[in-house]
Amino acid sequence: MRTIPKKSLIYVALVVGAALTLFPYLLVALTAFKDRGQLFSTAPWLPAFPPTTSNIDKLIDSGFLTYVGNTALMTTVLTLGQLVFTTFAAYAFARMKFKGREFLFWCYLATMMVPNAVTMIPLFLIMREMELVNTWFGLLAPYLLGTPYGIFLMRQFFRTIPADLEDAARIDGAGPLTVLWRILLPLSRPALGTLAIITIVTTWNNFLWPLIITSSDDTKVATVAIATLKQNIGSDYNLMMAGSLIALLPMVLIFLFFQRFIVRSVVLTGLK
Amino acid sequence: MKTTTIAKPRETAPDTTGPAPAKRRRKLNLTPYLFLAPSLFGVLAFLLLPVAIVAVVSLFKWELLDSPTFIGLENYRKLAGDGDVRHSLWVTVLYVLLSIPVQTVIALGLALLLNQKIRGVKFFRALFVVPWMATPIVMGVVWTWIFDPANGALNKFLGVFGVDGPNWLSDTAFALPAVAAVQVWQYAGYNMLFFLAGLQGIPGELYDAADTDGASKLRQFVHITLPLLNPTMFFVLVTNIIGSFQVYDTLYVMTEGGPDKSTEVLNFRIVQTAFQEFDFGYASAMAMLLFALILVFTVVQVRFFNRRTTYDIS
Repeated sequence: MRTIPKKSLIYVALVVGAALTLFPYLLVALTAFKDRGQLFSTAPWLPAFPPTTSNIDKLIDSGFLTYVGNTALMTTVLTLGQLVFTTFAAYAFARMKFKGREFLFWCYLATMMVPNAVTMIPLFLIMREMELVNTWFGLLAPYLLGTPYGIFLMRQFFRTIPADLEDAARIDGAGPLTVLWRILLPLSRPALGTLAIITIVTTWNNFLWPLIITSSDDTKVATVAIATLKQNIGSDYNLMMAGSLIALLPMVLIFLFFQRFIVRSVVLTGLK
Repeated sequence: MKTTTIAKPRETAPDTTGPAPAKRRRKLNLTPYLFLAPSLFGVLAFLLLPVAIVAVVSLFKWELLDSPTFIGLENYRKLAGDGDVRHSLWVTVLYVLLSIPVQTVIALGLALLLNQKIRGVKFFRALFVVPWMATPIVMGVVWTWIFDPANGALNKFLGVFGVDGPNWLSDTAFALPAVAAVQVWQYAGYNMLFFLAGLQGIPGELYDAADTDGASKLRQFVHITLPLLNPTMFFVLVTNIIGSFQVYDTLYVMTEGGPDKSTEVLNFRIVQTAFQEFDFGYASAMAMLLFALILVFTVVQVRFFNRRTTYDIS
Protein backbone atom coordinates (compact mmCIF):
# COMPACT_ATOMS: atom_id res chain seq x y z
CA MET A 1 0.00 0.00 0.00
CA ARG A 2 2.86 2.35 0.79
CA THR A 3 4.25 2.19 -2.71
CA ILE A 4 1.29 3.83 -4.42
CA PRO A 5 1.58 7.34 -2.93
CA LYS A 6 5.37 7.22 -3.31
CA LYS A 7 5.04 6.44 -6.99
CA SER A 8 2.56 9.19 -7.58
CA LEU A 9 4.91 11.63 -5.86
CA ILE A 10 7.65 10.60 -8.25
CA TYR A 11 5.32 11.17 -11.18
CA VAL A 12 4.32 14.59 -9.88
CA ALA A 13 7.99 15.58 -9.63
CA LEU A 14 8.72 14.20 -13.11
CA VAL A 15 5.75 15.93 -14.69
CA VAL A 16 6.68 19.26 -13.10
CA GLY A 17 10.25 18.80 -14.35
CA ALA A 18 8.98 17.91 -17.81
CA ALA A 19 6.74 20.98 -17.89
CA LEU A 20 9.65 23.26 -16.96
CA THR A 21 11.85 21.53 -19.53
CA LEU A 22 9.38 21.94 -22.35
CA PHE A 23 7.92 25.32 -21.43
CA PRO A 24 10.42 27.46 -23.42
CA TYR A 25 9.68 25.36 -26.52
CA LEU A 26 5.95 25.73 -25.96
CA LEU A 27 6.39 29.46 -25.53
CA VAL A 28 8.26 29.68 -28.85
CA ALA A 29 5.52 27.77 -30.64
CA LEU A 30 2.73 29.85 -29.09
CA THR A 31 4.34 33.28 -29.48
CA ALA A 32 5.48 32.70 -33.05
CA PHE A 33 1.85 32.61 -34.18
CA LYS A 34 0.61 35.72 -32.35
CA ASP A 35 0.35 39.15 -33.90
CA ARG A 36 1.53 42.27 -32.10
CA GLY A 37 -1.86 42.88 -30.47
CA GLN A 38 -2.28 39.28 -29.32
CA LEU A 39 1.23 39.35 -27.87
CA PHE A 40 0.00 41.72 -25.18
CA SER A 41 -3.67 40.76 -24.96
CA THR A 42 -3.19 37.02 -24.31
CA ALA A 43 -1.29 35.33 -21.49
CA PRO A 44 2.15 34.14 -22.71
CA TRP A 45 1.25 30.50 -21.99
CA LEU A 46 -2.02 30.56 -23.92
CA PRO A 47 -2.47 30.29 -27.69
CA ALA A 48 -4.05 33.14 -29.63
CA PHE A 49 -7.06 32.84 -31.94
CA PRO A 50 -6.91 33.16 -34.81
CA PRO A 51 -3.23 32.19 -35.12
CA THR A 52 -1.25 34.18 -37.64
CA THR A 53 1.63 33.19 -39.88
CA SER A 54 2.49 36.81 -40.57
CA ASN A 55 5.62 36.70 -38.38
CA ILE A 56 7.01 33.75 -40.23
CA ASP A 57 6.10 35.26 -43.60
CA LYS A 58 7.80 38.49 -42.63
CA LEU A 59 10.99 36.71 -41.59
CA ILE A 60 11.06 34.60 -44.74
CA ASP A 61 10.58 37.76 -46.82
CA SER A 62 13.54 39.34 -45.05
CA GLY A 63 15.73 36.43 -46.17
CA PHE A 64 15.99 34.61 -42.86
CA LEU A 65 15.88 31.21 -44.57
CA THR A 66 19.16 32.03 -46.34
CA TYR A 67 20.89 32.15 -42.96
CA VAL A 68 19.30 28.87 -41.86
CA GLY A 69 20.42 27.43 -45.20
CA ASN A 70 23.96 28.65 -44.50
CA THR A 71 23.85 26.96 -41.09
CA ALA A 72 22.60 23.77 -42.72
CA LEU A 73 25.41 23.89 -45.29
CA MET A 74 28.03 24.55 -42.61
CA THR A 75 26.65 21.71 -40.49
CA THR A 76 26.63 19.26 -43.40
CA VAL A 77 30.16 20.03 -44.54
CA LEU A 78 31.67 20.00 -41.06
CA THR A 79 29.87 16.82 -40.01
CA LEU A 80 31.10 15.02 -43.13
CA GLY A 81 34.61 16.36 -42.62
CA GLN A 82 34.58 15.32 -39.00
CA LEU A 83 33.39 11.79 -39.80
CA VAL A 84 35.91 11.21 -42.59
CA PHE A 85 39.07 12.69 -41.11
CA THR A 86 38.33 11.55 -37.57
CA THR A 87 37.85 7.99 -38.76
CA PHE A 88 41.20 7.94 -40.55
CA ALA A 89 43.10 9.37 -37.60
CA ALA A 90 41.31 7.18 -35.05
CA TYR A 91 42.04 4.09 -37.14
CA ALA A 92 45.73 4.96 -37.26
CA PHE A 93 45.84 5.49 -33.50
CA ALA A 94 43.82 2.38 -32.70
CA ARG A 95 45.28 -0.16 -35.09
CA MET A 96 48.59 0.92 -36.60
CA LYS A 97 52.03 0.95 -35.10
CA PHE A 98 54.26 3.80 -36.01
CA LYS A 99 56.98 5.91 -34.55
CA GLY A 100 55.70 8.72 -32.37
CA ARG A 101 52.22 7.30 -31.95
CA GLU A 102 52.02 7.66 -28.18
CA PHE A 103 53.47 11.16 -28.28
CA LEU A 104 51.10 12.32 -31.02
CA PHE A 105 48.10 10.84 -29.28
CA TRP A 106 49.11 12.61 -26.09
CA CYS A 107 49.34 15.88 -28.05
CA TYR A 108 45.84 15.35 -29.42
CA LEU A 109 44.50 14.72 -25.92
CA ALA A 110 46.25 17.79 -24.57
CA THR A 111 44.63 20.05 -27.18
CA MET A 112 41.19 19.00 -25.97
CA MET A 113 41.50 21.29 -22.98
CA VAL A 114 42.30 24.40 -25.00
CA PRO A 115 39.30 26.67 -24.48
CA ASN A 116 37.52 28.44 -27.30
CA ALA A 117 38.36 31.88 -25.95
CA VAL A 118 42.06 31.14 -26.31
CA THR A 119 41.93 30.07 -29.95
CA MET A 120 39.46 32.69 -31.21
CA ILE A 121 41.92 35.59 -31.19
CA PRO A 122 44.84 33.83 -32.94
CA LEU A 123 42.52 32.09 -35.41
CA PHE A 124 41.10 35.46 -36.36
CA LEU A 125 44.60 36.89 -36.74
CA ILE A 126 45.63 33.92 -38.91
CA MET A 127 42.56 34.28 -41.11
CA ARG A 128 43.07 38.03 -41.39
CA GLU A 129 46.69 37.49 -42.40
CA MET A 130 45.60 35.02 -45.09
CA GLU A 131 42.75 37.30 -46.19
CA LEU A 132 40.18 34.65 -45.38
CA VAL A 133 37.98 36.82 -43.16
CA ASN A 134 34.37 36.71 -44.31
CA THR A 135 34.85 33.67 -46.55
CA TRP A 136 33.32 30.22 -46.38
CA PHE A 137 36.79 28.75 -46.16
CA GLY A 138 37.65 30.85 -43.13
CA LEU A 139 34.38 29.90 -41.47
CA LEU A 140 34.80 26.16 -42.04
CA ALA A 141 38.55 25.50 -41.97
CA PRO A 142 39.14 25.37 -38.18
CA TYR A 143 36.58 22.60 -37.70
CA LEU A 144 36.87 20.74 -40.99
CA LEU A 145 39.69 18.30 -40.30
CA GLY A 146 38.27 16.49 -37.30
CA THR A 147 38.43 17.33 -33.60
CA PRO A 148 40.68 15.66 -31.01
CA TYR A 149 37.55 14.84 -29.06
CA GLY A 150 36.05 12.95 -31.99
CA ILE A 151 39.31 11.14 -32.66
CA PHE A 152 39.52 10.08 -29.03
CA LEU A 153 35.92 8.84 -29.11
CA MET A 154 36.39 6.81 -32.29
CA ARG A 155 39.75 5.41 -31.24
CA GLN A 156 38.27 4.13 -27.98
CA PHE A 157 35.46 2.51 -29.91
CA PHE A 158 37.75 0.89 -32.51
CA ARG A 159 39.78 -0.64 -29.73
CA THR A 160 36.73 -2.50 -28.43
CA ILE A 161 36.35 -4.31 -31.74
CA PRO A 162 38.23 -7.66 -31.78
CA ALA A 163 41.16 -7.65 -34.17
CA ASP A 164 40.55 -11.23 -35.39
CA LEU A 165 38.14 -10.11 -38.10
CA GLU A 166 40.70 -7.75 -39.54
CA ASP A 167 43.41 -10.40 -39.35
CA ALA A 168 41.30 -12.71 -41.44
CA ALA A 169 40.68 -9.98 -44.03
CA ARG A 170 44.34 -9.07 -44.11
CA ILE A 171 45.37 -12.65 -44.73
CA ASP A 172 43.05 -12.49 -47.72
CA GLY A 173 45.12 -9.56 -48.92
CA ALA A 174 42.94 -6.60 -47.89
CA GLY A 175 44.72 -3.27 -47.44
CA PRO A 176 44.08 -0.83 -44.57
CA LEU A 177 41.46 1.12 -46.54
CA THR A 178 39.48 -2.04 -47.31
CA VAL A 179 39.71 -3.20 -43.71
CA LEU A 180 38.50 0.18 -42.46
CA TRP A 181 35.67 0.46 -44.96
CA ARG A 182 34.47 -3.15 -45.03
CA ILE A 183 35.03 -4.31 -41.47
CA LEU A 184 35.52 -1.55 -38.93
CA LEU A 185 33.04 1.03 -40.16
CA PRO A 186 30.02 -1.29 -40.45
CA LEU A 187 30.68 -2.37 -36.84
CA SER A 188 31.08 1.24 -35.68
CA ARG A 189 27.66 2.60 -36.53
CA PRO A 190 26.74 3.49 -32.91
CA ALA A 191 29.97 5.43 -32.38
CA LEU A 192 29.72 7.13 -35.77
CA GLY A 193 26.14 8.06 -34.94
CA THR A 194 27.23 9.56 -31.63
CA LEU A 195 29.97 11.52 -33.30
CA ALA A 196 27.58 12.75 -36.00
CA ILE A 197 24.96 13.88 -33.45
CA ILE A 198 27.48 15.70 -31.28
CA THR A 199 29.03 17.39 -34.31
CA ILE A 200 25.65 18.38 -35.75
CA VAL A 201 24.52 19.90 -32.45
CA THR A 202 27.74 21.81 -31.72
CA THR A 203 28.01 23.07 -35.29
CA TRP A 204 24.38 24.10 -35.58
CA ASN A 205 24.67 25.98 -32.27
CA ASN A 206 28.07 27.55 -32.93
CA PHE A 207 27.95 31.29 -32.54
CA LEU A 208 31.22 32.93 -31.52
CA TRP A 209 33.41 31.88 -34.44
CA PRO A 210 30.80 32.74 -37.13
CA LEU A 211 30.20 36.05 -35.34
CA ILE A 212 33.90 36.89 -35.43
CA ILE A 213 34.81 35.66 -38.89
CA THR A 214 31.76 36.53 -41.03
CA SER A 215 30.19 39.86 -41.79
CA SER A 216 28.18 39.56 -45.00
CA ASP A 217 24.88 37.92 -45.84
CA ASP A 218 26.32 35.09 -47.98
CA THR A 219 28.17 33.61 -44.99
CA LYS A 220 25.86 34.69 -42.18
CA VAL A 221 24.52 31.76 -40.15
CA ALA A 222 21.26 31.49 -38.21
CA THR A 223 22.74 32.07 -34.74
CA VAL A 224 24.37 35.32 -35.84
CA ALA A 225 21.17 36.34 -37.64
CA ILE A 226 19.14 35.74 -34.45
CA ALA A 227 21.58 37.79 -32.39
CA THR A 228 21.43 40.64 -34.94
CA LEU A 229 17.65 40.43 -34.95
CA LYS A 230 17.68 40.65 -31.16
CA GLN A 231 19.74 43.84 -31.31
CA ASN A 232 17.50 45.42 -33.92
CA ILE A 233 13.98 44.37 -32.94
CA GLY A 234 14.59 42.77 -29.53
CA SER A 235 11.19 43.56 -28.07
CA ASP A 236 9.19 42.28 -31.06
CA TYR A 237 8.91 38.95 -29.33
CA ASN A 238 6.44 37.55 -31.85
CA LEU A 239 8.99 38.01 -34.64
CA MET A 240 11.86 36.86 -32.44
CA MET A 241 10.00 33.67 -31.53
CA ALA A 242 9.17 33.02 -35.18
CA GLY A 243 12.92 33.17 -35.90
CA SER A 244 13.61 30.94 -32.90
CA LEU A 245 11.04 28.45 -34.15
CA ILE A 246 12.71 28.20 -37.55
CA ALA A 247 16.17 27.88 -36.00
CA LEU A 248 15.11 25.28 -33.41
CA LEU A 249 12.91 23.11 -35.61
CA PRO A 250 15.69 21.13 -37.34
CA MET A 251 17.29 20.22 -33.99
CA VAL A 252 13.91 19.18 -32.58
CA LEU A 253 13.34 16.98 -35.63
CA ILE A 254 16.77 15.42 -35.26
CA PHE A 255 15.95 14.72 -31.66
CA LEU A 256 12.63 13.08 -32.50
CA PHE A 257 14.25 10.84 -35.09
CA PHE A 258 17.28 9.83 -33.06
CA GLN A 259 15.80 10.17 -29.59
CA ARG A 260 16.57 6.72 -28.17
CA PHE A 261 19.94 6.79 -29.78
CA ILE A 262 20.90 10.14 -28.27
CA VAL A 263 20.19 9.20 -24.68
CA ARG A 264 22.39 6.14 -25.08
CA SER A 265 25.11 7.88 -26.97
CA VAL A 266 25.45 11.25 -25.27
CA VAL A 267 27.21 9.58 -22.39
CA LEU A 268 29.02 6.96 -24.43
CA THR A 269 32.14 8.54 -23.12
CA GLY A 270 32.34 10.76 -20.11
CA LEU A 271 33.82 13.62 -22.05
CA LYS A 272 32.63 16.87 -23.49
CA MET B 1 63.48 2.58 -39.08
CA LYS B 2 61.66 -0.37 -37.66
CA THR B 3 57.94 -0.11 -37.24
CA THR B 4 57.97 -2.51 -34.34
CA THR B 5 60.28 -0.61 -32.03
CA ILE B 6 57.55 1.10 -30.06
CA ALA B 7 55.27 -1.91 -29.90
CA LYS B 8 54.22 -2.49 -26.33
CA PRO B 9 53.35 -5.90 -24.91
CA ARG B 10 49.83 -4.84 -23.97
CA GLU B 11 49.00 -3.95 -27.56
CA THR B 12 46.93 -6.69 -29.08
CA ALA B 13 46.34 -4.93 -32.37
CA PRO B 14 48.30 -6.59 -35.12
CA ASP B 15 50.83 -4.89 -37.30
CA THR B 16 49.18 -3.68 -40.46
CA THR B 17 52.18 -4.04 -42.66
CA GLY B 18 50.62 -7.06 -44.31
CA PRO B 19 50.97 -10.78 -44.47
CA ALA B 20 54.72 -10.78 -44.96
CA PRO B 21 55.99 -8.36 -42.31
CA ALA B 22 59.53 -9.71 -42.39
CA LYS B 23 60.02 -8.42 -45.91
CA ARG B 24 58.27 -5.06 -45.57
CA ARG B 25 59.47 -4.13 -42.14
CA ARG B 26 62.69 -2.63 -43.41
CA LYS B 27 61.18 0.41 -45.06
CA LEU B 28 59.22 3.13 -43.32
CA ASN B 29 55.53 2.47 -43.51
CA LEU B 30 53.90 5.71 -44.62
CA THR B 31 50.28 4.57 -44.35
CA PRO B 32 49.73 5.64 -40.70
CA TYR B 33 51.11 9.07 -41.41
CA LEU B 34 48.90 9.46 -44.47
CA PHE B 35 45.87 8.49 -42.40
CA LEU B 36 46.84 11.00 -39.74
CA ALA B 37 47.93 13.83 -42.02
CA PRO B 38 44.66 15.80 -42.34
CA SER B 39 43.80 15.75 -38.65
CA LEU B 40 47.40 16.40 -37.68
CA PHE B 41 47.41 19.47 -39.89
CA GLY B 42 44.17 20.56 -38.23
CA VAL B 43 45.53 20.10 -34.72
CA LEU B 44 48.77 21.91 -35.56
CA ALA B 45 47.26 24.80 -37.52
CA PHE B 46 44.06 25.41 -35.59
CA LEU B 47 44.92 24.38 -32.02
CA LEU B 48 48.65 24.25 -31.25
CA LEU B 49 49.71 27.16 -33.46
CA PRO B 50 46.95 29.40 -32.03
CA VAL B 51 48.06 28.60 -28.48
CA ALA B 52 51.62 29.57 -29.42
CA ILE B 53 50.39 32.73 -31.15
CA VAL B 54 48.26 33.80 -28.20
CA ALA B 55 51.23 33.34 -25.87
CA VAL B 56 53.46 35.43 -28.14
CA VAL B 57 50.87 38.12 -28.90
CA SER B 58 50.30 38.56 -25.16
CA LEU B 59 53.82 40.02 -25.03
CA PHE B 60 53.00 42.67 -27.62
CA LYS B 61 51.08 45.85 -27.82
CA TRP B 62 48.91 45.25 -30.85
CA GLU B 63 45.86 47.31 -31.63
CA LEU B 64 43.63 47.01 -34.68
CA LEU B 65 45.75 47.77 -37.74
CA ASP B 66 48.87 48.98 -35.93
CA SER B 67 51.95 46.86 -36.27
CA PRO B 68 52.74 45.01 -33.05
CA THR B 69 55.37 46.33 -30.62
CA PHE B 70 57.13 44.08 -28.16
CA ILE B 71 56.46 45.18 -24.59
CA GLY B 72 57.50 42.12 -22.60
CA LEU B 73 55.31 41.40 -19.61
CA GLU B 74 53.66 44.82 -19.65
CA ASN B 75 50.22 43.36 -20.49
CA TYR B 76 50.45 41.01 -17.53
CA ARG B 77 51.49 43.87 -15.24
CA LYS B 78 48.46 45.80 -16.46
CA LEU B 79 46.32 42.70 -15.92
CA ALA B 80 47.34 42.43 -12.27
CA GLY B 81 46.17 45.96 -11.54
CA ASP B 82 43.09 46.01 -13.78
CA GLY B 83 39.93 46.52 -11.73
CA ASP B 84 37.69 45.47 -14.64
CA VAL B 85 39.50 42.15 -14.95
CA ARG B 86 39.34 41.55 -11.21
CA HIS B 87 35.63 42.34 -11.35
CA SER B 88 35.08 39.94 -14.27
CA LEU B 89 36.94 37.19 -12.41
CA TRP B 90 34.64 37.74 -9.45
CA VAL B 91 31.57 37.63 -11.71
CA THR B 92 32.89 34.38 -13.22
CA VAL B 93 33.22 32.82 -9.78
CA LEU B 94 29.78 34.07 -8.84
CA TYR B 95 28.32 32.62 -12.02
CA VAL B 96 29.85 29.23 -11.22
CA LEU B 97 28.52 29.38 -7.66
CA LEU B 98 25.04 30.34 -8.85
CA SER B 99 24.75 27.70 -11.55
CA ILE B 100 26.77 24.60 -10.66
CA PRO B 101 25.39 23.63 -7.21
CA VAL B 102 21.73 24.00 -8.28
CA GLN B 103 22.34 22.27 -11.59
CA THR B 104 24.15 19.37 -9.92
CA VAL B 105 21.52 18.87 -7.22
CA ILE B 106 18.72 18.87 -9.80
CA ALA B 107 20.66 16.47 -12.02
CA LEU B 108 21.24 14.08 -9.14
CA GLY B 109 17.61 14.38 -8.02
CA LEU B 110 16.33 13.58 -11.50
CA ALA B 111 18.72 10.64 -11.75
CA LEU B 112 17.45 9.23 -8.45
CA LEU B 113 13.85 9.58 -9.65
CA LEU B 114 14.62 8.03 -13.02
CA ASN B 115 16.56 5.15 -11.50
CA GLN B 116 13.29 3.74 -10.12
CA LYS B 117 11.44 0.95 -11.81
CA ILE B 118 8.43 2.92 -12.94
CA ARG B 119 6.55 3.18 -16.22
CA GLY B 120 7.62 5.77 -18.76
CA VAL B 121 11.09 6.11 -17.31
CA LYS B 122 12.73 5.99 -20.75
CA PHE B 123 10.41 8.67 -22.04
CA PHE B 124 11.33 11.04 -19.21
CA ARG B 125 15.05 10.31 -19.57
CA ALA B 126 14.91 11.33 -23.21
CA LEU B 127 12.73 14.34 -22.51
CA PHE B 128 15.08 15.84 -19.94
CA VAL B 129 17.96 15.76 -22.43
CA VAL B 130 16.08 17.88 -24.99
CA PRO B 131 17.44 21.25 -23.71
CA TRP B 132 21.01 20.00 -24.15
CA MET B 133 20.50 20.27 -27.92
CA ALA B 134 18.93 23.71 -27.80
CA THR B 135 20.88 26.51 -29.44
CA PRO B 136 22.15 28.75 -26.59
CA ILE B 137 21.74 31.90 -28.69
CA VAL B 138 18.12 31.05 -29.45
CA MET B 139 17.40 30.03 -25.87
CA GLY B 140 18.94 33.30 -24.67
CA VAL B 141 16.35 35.11 -26.77
CA VAL B 142 13.53 32.87 -25.56
CA TRP B 143 14.46 33.37 -21.90
CA THR B 144 14.74 37.11 -22.44
CA TRP B 145 11.08 36.94 -23.42
CA ILE B 146 10.29 34.80 -20.36
CA PHE B 147 12.07 37.35 -18.14
CA ASP B 148 10.45 40.38 -19.79
CA PRO B 149 9.38 42.62 -16.89
CA ALA B 150 5.96 43.70 -18.20
CA ASN B 151 4.67 40.87 -20.39
CA GLY B 152 7.04 37.95 -19.82
CA ALA B 153 5.74 34.57 -18.67
CA LEU B 154 7.59 34.65 -15.34
CA ASN B 155 6.26 37.97 -14.07
CA LYS B 156 2.79 37.22 -15.47
CA PHE B 157 2.89 33.95 -13.56
CA LEU B 158 4.09 35.67 -10.37
CA GLY B 159 1.33 38.24 -10.89
CA VAL B 160 -1.25 35.46 -10.59
CA PHE B 161 -0.14 35.15 -6.96
CA GLY B 162 -0.05 38.90 -6.49
CA VAL B 163 3.74 39.05 -6.58
CA ASP B 164 5.31 41.98 -8.41
CA GLY B 165 8.31 40.43 -10.19
CA PRO B 166 11.48 42.46 -10.67
CA ASN B 167 12.95 43.69 -13.94
CA TRP B 168 15.11 40.57 -14.06
CA LEU B 169 17.67 41.31 -16.73
CA SER B 170 18.02 45.04 -16.02
CA ASP B 171 18.54 44.64 -12.28
CA THR B 172 22.12 44.16 -11.08
CA ALA B 173 20.86 41.83 -8.34
CA PHE B 174 18.89 39.53 -10.63
CA ALA B 175 20.61 39.55 -14.03
CA LEU B 176 23.38 37.06 -13.20
CA PRO B 177 21.09 34.60 -11.38
CA ALA B 178 18.69 34.80 -14.35
CA VAL B 179 21.43 33.88 -16.83
CA ALA B 180 22.63 31.14 -14.49
CA ALA B 181 19.08 29.77 -14.37
CA VAL B 182 19.16 29.33 -18.15
CA GLN B 183 22.31 27.24 -17.84
CA VAL B 184 20.64 25.11 -15.15
CA TRP B 185 17.63 24.63 -17.42
CA GLN B 186 19.83 23.66 -20.34
CA TYR B 187 22.29 21.24 -18.72
CA ALA B 188 20.67 19.71 -15.60
CA GLY B 189 18.96 17.00 -17.66
CA TYR B 190 22.11 16.20 -19.61
CA ASN B 191 24.11 15.80 -16.41
CA MET B 192 21.35 13.58 -15.04
CA LEU B 193 22.52 10.97 -17.57
CA PHE B 194 25.97 10.80 -15.96
CA PHE B 195 24.50 10.36 -12.48
CA LEU B 196 22.11 7.74 -13.82
CA ALA B 197 25.03 5.82 -15.28
CA GLY B 198 26.83 6.16 -11.95
CA LEU B 199 23.79 4.94 -10.00
CA GLN B 200 23.40 1.95 -12.28
CA GLY B 201 27.00 1.01 -11.55
CA ILE B 202 26.31 0.60 -7.83
CA PRO B 203 25.74 -3.09 -6.98
CA GLY B 204 22.19 -3.71 -5.74
CA GLU B 205 23.43 -6.12 -3.04
CA LEU B 206 24.75 -3.18 -1.06
CA TYR B 207 21.22 -1.87 -0.64
CA ASP B 208 19.86 -5.35 0.10
CA ALA B 209 22.40 -5.71 2.90
CA ALA B 210 21.53 -2.27 4.24
CA ASP B 211 17.84 -3.16 4.12
CA THR B 212 18.40 -6.30 6.22
CA ASP B 213 20.35 -4.18 8.69
CA GLY B 214 17.33 -1.90 8.88
CA ALA B 215 19.09 1.19 7.56
CA SER B 216 16.72 3.96 6.47
CA LYS B 217 16.61 5.13 2.84
CA LEU B 218 18.22 8.39 3.86
CA ARG B 219 21.09 6.61 5.62
CA GLN B 220 21.51 4.38 2.58
CA PHE B 221 21.72 7.46 0.37
CA VAL B 222 24.30 9.17 2.58
CA HIS B 223 26.43 6.09 3.31
CA ILE B 224 26.16 4.06 0.10
CA THR B 225 24.92 6.14 -2.82
CA LEU B 226 26.86 9.37 -2.30
CA PRO B 227 30.28 7.80 -1.57
CA LEU B 228 29.97 5.45 -4.53
CA LEU B 229 28.89 8.31 -6.78
CA ASN B 230 32.05 10.23 -5.89
CA PRO B 231 33.86 9.70 -9.22
CA THR B 232 30.74 10.69 -11.17
CA MET B 233 30.17 13.70 -8.94
CA PHE B 234 33.76 14.81 -9.38
CA PHE B 235 33.62 14.41 -13.14
CA VAL B 236 30.32 16.29 -13.44
CA LEU B 237 31.53 19.12 -11.20
CA VAL B 238 34.87 19.64 -12.93
CA THR B 239 33.60 19.48 -16.50
CA ASN B 240 30.70 21.79 -15.71
CA ILE B 241 32.88 24.31 -13.90
CA ILE B 242 35.20 24.38 -16.91
CA GLY B 243 32.14 24.82 -19.13
CA SER B 244 30.80 27.64 -16.96
CA PHE B 245 34.10 29.50 -17.24
CA GLN B 246 33.38 29.74 -20.94
CA VAL B 247 29.77 30.89 -20.94
CA TYR B 248 29.23 33.43 -23.68
CA ASP B 249 26.26 33.00 -26.00
CA THR B 250 23.42 33.40 -23.50
CA LEU B 251 25.15 36.41 -21.95
CA TYR B 252 25.63 37.97 -25.37
CA VAL B 253 21.92 38.00 -26.15
CA MET B 254 20.46 38.33 -22.66
CA THR B 255 22.51 41.05 -20.98
CA GLU B 256 25.56 41.96 -23.11
CA GLY B 257 27.52 41.95 -19.87
CA GLY B 258 25.25 44.49 -18.20
CA PRO B 259 23.56 46.01 -16.37
CA ASP B 260 26.52 47.94 -15.01
CA LYS B 261 28.91 45.05 -15.87
CA SER B 262 27.12 42.83 -13.37
CA THR B 263 27.18 39.88 -15.79
CA GLU B 264 30.52 40.55 -17.43
CA VAL B 265 32.41 37.28 -16.96
CA LEU B 266 36.09 37.01 -17.91
CA ASN B 267 35.32 35.19 -21.15
CA PHE B 268 33.03 38.04 -22.18
CA ARG B 269 35.67 40.64 -21.25
CA ILE B 270 38.22 38.81 -23.44
CA VAL B 271 36.05 38.74 -26.55
CA GLN B 272 35.04 42.35 -25.90
CA THR B 273 38.66 43.49 -25.59
CA ALA B 274 39.71 41.63 -28.72
CA PHE B 275 36.82 42.24 -31.08
CA GLN B 276 35.20 45.46 -29.86
CA GLU B 277 38.26 47.34 -28.63
CA PHE B 278 40.64 45.47 -31.00
CA ASP B 279 43.32 45.34 -28.32
CA PHE B 280 44.67 41.94 -29.37
CA GLY B 281 47.77 41.99 -27.17
CA TYR B 282 45.93 42.69 -23.94
CA ALA B 283 43.07 40.33 -24.84
CA SER B 284 45.67 37.59 -25.42
CA ALA B 285 47.10 38.14 -21.94
CA MET B 286 43.57 37.79 -20.53
CA ALA B 287 43.04 34.64 -22.58
CA MET B 288 46.24 33.21 -21.06
CA LEU B 289 44.80 33.90 -17.62
CA LEU B 290 41.58 32.05 -18.46
CA PHE B 291 43.64 29.24 -19.99
CA ALA B 292 45.65 28.94 -16.77
CA LEU B 293 42.47 28.73 -14.70
CA ILE B 294 41.04 26.00 -16.91
CA LEU B 295 44.38 24.19 -16.93
CA VAL B 296 44.33 23.97 -13.13
CA PHE B 297 40.91 22.33 -13.16
CA THR B 298 41.86 20.01 -16.00
CA VAL B 299 45.03 18.85 -14.27
CA VAL B 300 43.05 18.16 -11.11
CA GLN B 301 40.61 16.13 -13.15
CA VAL B 302 43.23 14.13 -15.02
CA ARG B 303 45.14 13.45 -11.79
CA PHE B 304 42.00 12.21 -10.17
CA PHE B 305 40.89 9.99 -12.98
CA ASN B 306 44.24 8.72 -14.09
CA ARG B 307 42.59 7.59 -17.26
CA ARG B 308 39.44 8.82 -18.89
CA THR B 309 36.35 7.20 -17.51
CA THR B 310 33.85 5.65 -19.85
CA TYR B 311 30.18 5.56 -19.09
CA ASP B 312 27.35 3.72 -20.73
CA ILE B 313 23.70 3.32 -19.97
CA SER B 314 21.93 0.05 -20.47
